[in-house]
Amino acid sequence: MTETTGRNMRYLAIKLLELLATLLLVSFLTFAAFSIIPGDAAGIMLGPNASPEQIARLRTELGLDKPVIVQYINWLGGAFTGNLGTSVAYKLPVISLIAERLPVTIGMSVIATVMVIVISYPLAILSARKPGRIGDQVCSFLGHVLFAVPPFVLSLLLIIFTAKFLNIFTVGRYAPPSKDPGMFIGSLILPSFAIALPKIAMTFKFMRSAIIEQNNSEYVKTAKSHGLGNIKILMTHVLPNSNVSSITILSLVLSDILGGSLIVEQVFNLPGLGRLLLSAIARRDFPLLSGMVFYLALITVVLYFAADILAGLADPRIRLK
Amino acid sequence: MPDIRHTHILKVHHLSLSFPTRKNPDPAPVLNDVDFSVRDGEILGLIGNSGSGKTMTAMAIAGLLPEGAVITGGSIKFAGRDLVSMSAKNRRKLAGKDIGVIFQEPMTALDPLMKIGKNLEEVLIAHGEKDKAKRHDKICSMLKTVGFPDPESVITRYPHQLSGGQRQRILIASAALMSPRLLICDEPTSSLDTVTTVQILGLLKDLCRSMHMTILFISHDLSAVKNFCDRVMVMKEGRIIDKDNTMDLLSHPKNGYTAELLTNARLDPRILGLERAMVDYTKSPILMTHELNAGYDNARSILKDVDLKIYPHEILGLIGSSGCGKTTLTKAILGIIPHTGDIKYKDSHIGAVFQDPVSCLNPAHTIRWHLTEPLKAAGIKLTKEETEKRILSALFEVGLDEKYLNRRPRQLSGGQRQRVAIAMCLMLDPKLIVADEPFSSLDASSAAEILKLLTDINREKGTSFLLITHNIHIVRQIAPRVVVMDSGRIVEEGLTGDILTSPKSEAAIKLLTAEKELHGSN
Repeated sequence: MTETTGRNMRYLAIKLLELLATLLLVSFLTFAAFSIIPGDAAGIMLGPNASPEQIARLRTELGLDKPVIVQYINWLGGAFTGNLGTSVAYKLPVISLIAERLPVTIGMSVIATVMVIVISYPLAILSARKPGRIGDQVCSFLGHVLFAVPPFVLSLLLIIFTAKFLNIFTVGRYAPPSKDPGMFIGSLILPSFAIALPKIAMTFKFMRSAIIEQNNSEYVKTAKSHGLGNIKILMTHVLPNSNVSSITILSLVLSDILGGSLIVEQVFNLPGLGRLLLSAIARRDFPLLSGMVFYLALITVVLYFAADILAGLADPRIRLK
Repeated sequence: MPDIRHTHILKVHHLSLSFPTRKNPDPAPVLNDVDFSVRDGEILGLIGNSGSGKTMTAMAIAGLLPEGAVITGGSIKFAGRDLVSMSAKNRRKLAGKDIGVIFQEPMTALDPLMKIGKNLEEVLIAHGEKDKAKRHDKICSMLKTVGFPDPESVITRYPHQLSGGQRQRILIASAALMSPRLLICDEPTSSLDTVTTVQILGLLKDLCRSMHMTILFISHDLSAVKNFCDRVMVMKEGRIIDKDNTMDLLSHPKNGYTAELLTNARLDPRILGLERAMVDYTKSPILMTHELNAGYDNARSILKDVDLKIYPHEILGLIGSSGCGKTTLTKAILGIIPHTGDIKYKDSHIGAVFQDPVSCLNPAHTIRWHLTEPLKAAGIKLTKEETEKRILSALFEVGLDEKYLNRRPRQLSGGQRQRVAIAMCLMLDPKLIVADEPFSSLDASSAAEILKLLTDINREKGTSFLLITHNIHIVRQIAPRVVVMDSGRIVEEGLTGDILTSPKSEAAIKLLTAEKELHGSN
């Protein structure tokens, strides 16, 4: 047992190191990218009428005159101690700007993920029971269609359908979670659904073929020869084995959902990270921009890390290699 | 000959089965009027070539027929109850409790995510054993019976931590756990080496006697059947065409087809017309390795200082039990895995033929594509006419013709696929072909054909072969020299006659003892 524990710890340690390395690389690349693209924060902040001396003074104040690598190291030191600097445009700490917008983005992502799992898994299980039957064919066809339509188009269609024909949704009604949690969640459901739909289609397609593959496996035949019932075989053999591969897909889906929410919140006019990101790009607000990219990268990398750990938990062959 | 003193536990009565589709509602039957009974306590063998309907018969009895299979007539009576008309729920109650099944492939027949103990416990839970301590005791005693002296340590392991033979023991344990009256074994030993095969057959025989089990034993390994079964039935094209006591059937076959099957299985060089090339051992070897070490990760080398010589025109036999490093050696020679030490080869290409012709060919492509692929890989540019000429000559050499060129692998039989794999080797006209268990996934008739093909190529083209097989009988027949491997080393080498009559190494003695036990003394 101790040998196994040791191996598990080593697996965990390797994965953690990978996570840190990825994070460093991503942050460096963002920083490098932003120092290459044209546009100067000081110039934009002071407007077109500023004199070169004023701009130079502000550049010194912001530390923009130092070499990029020094700027990066300074920024990195801040980032790992929780200080992402101060937004040039908003004159507020980047951390608090992000914290203020985060609930919308995270909330939408969580709701969308729950929708993906709750809708796609049962459909996949039902479809895979009798592949080729009418129900399976309808689900697969709908899956193809939904997969092909981008989320912002779906958002518009959903808004038109629910607001105009069903009259159950008002665009732009939003309350922060601290004020009215009910309304907060209510306002996120439709946009979350718009993000989730293509991902439901994708996860459904994937899970369906994974389950069909497992259904045809030799150990399912063995389990049948042991007299196990279909539901028992599904729960104890087929689903756990399908999950091994679906964990990786789900982590991809989750990071896609995160990206999708940035766009969809624009359509639904929600105060999430997406709008903040756009305005930061427009105003060349480097501290805010690099802070946000760093934050999103952090979330994504942690998601992948979690997926790796879960895959190890789900499959002893990965863990005990 | 029916014996009225016996009671019959299973009666299959005029059973017919087919796979009807909407386009073809009345296709040719897969099982055609199959009729036999199994006596209480006997071991009944069922032999026949691939596709003869052996497995389908077994699955019909076990209630594990594939999607689309329809029983079109007849009945299956188990202990007086008709299985064909029984509800799915009642069949489930029988499955695992009164009828146990052991499958061919132990590597994939266990859920890779489930510990062995849990896997076995499931059977007991499914059949209503509620007491956890009782389940544990029952599992431990069963594991001891199937040959695990320390069951507690096996319970917490995962399937991938066990060898093929150990997994087959676990599967036997799971099938025997509820002491079923009938145990169906579908090729339970064909993926195991000779030593393990003998052990598994011994175990099954013990279980049969001690637990009063009846066994239906399906195999294309006639020597296993000979030593194991009381009676044997022969299947061909969905019908049972011959049945008799094992001794009578195997030593004095009355049926012409049975006689043919036996001849093929015996692989007698005179009857098959096998003739190999003469080898001149004074010539310098075509392939020489010196202190060859190789493995799958840097830390652990599986091969240990292997010195191997293969002479021109020679068929060199390589034997050893599973996991001895035979396949690793071929991979190192073929350059598929990294190695240290020398490999000197006098030609530029080495051909390779592997065990499983199904997974070696790309299902998406035609035979023509497969045959042009080696040329592309070797960077050989030929004109269209030259390529076509070479493809046809390779195809003719392996006994196929141009009508196969546009077919895809799934439209060929196992033997034909193995021929395509050999033709792919011949495209580059190599001086050496490495053949890793080329017969073991084929039935006796196809194996005999492929064996004849290999000796023909050896004689006519002078191609050398490194032939890896767990069938010592084949080595005896066609390889003048043999090499024995154990734990990554060559432990014995020399003339086949010498080694097979008076082996010196422990590994060779073990292999030959097992072989003798399995095949008798011929």
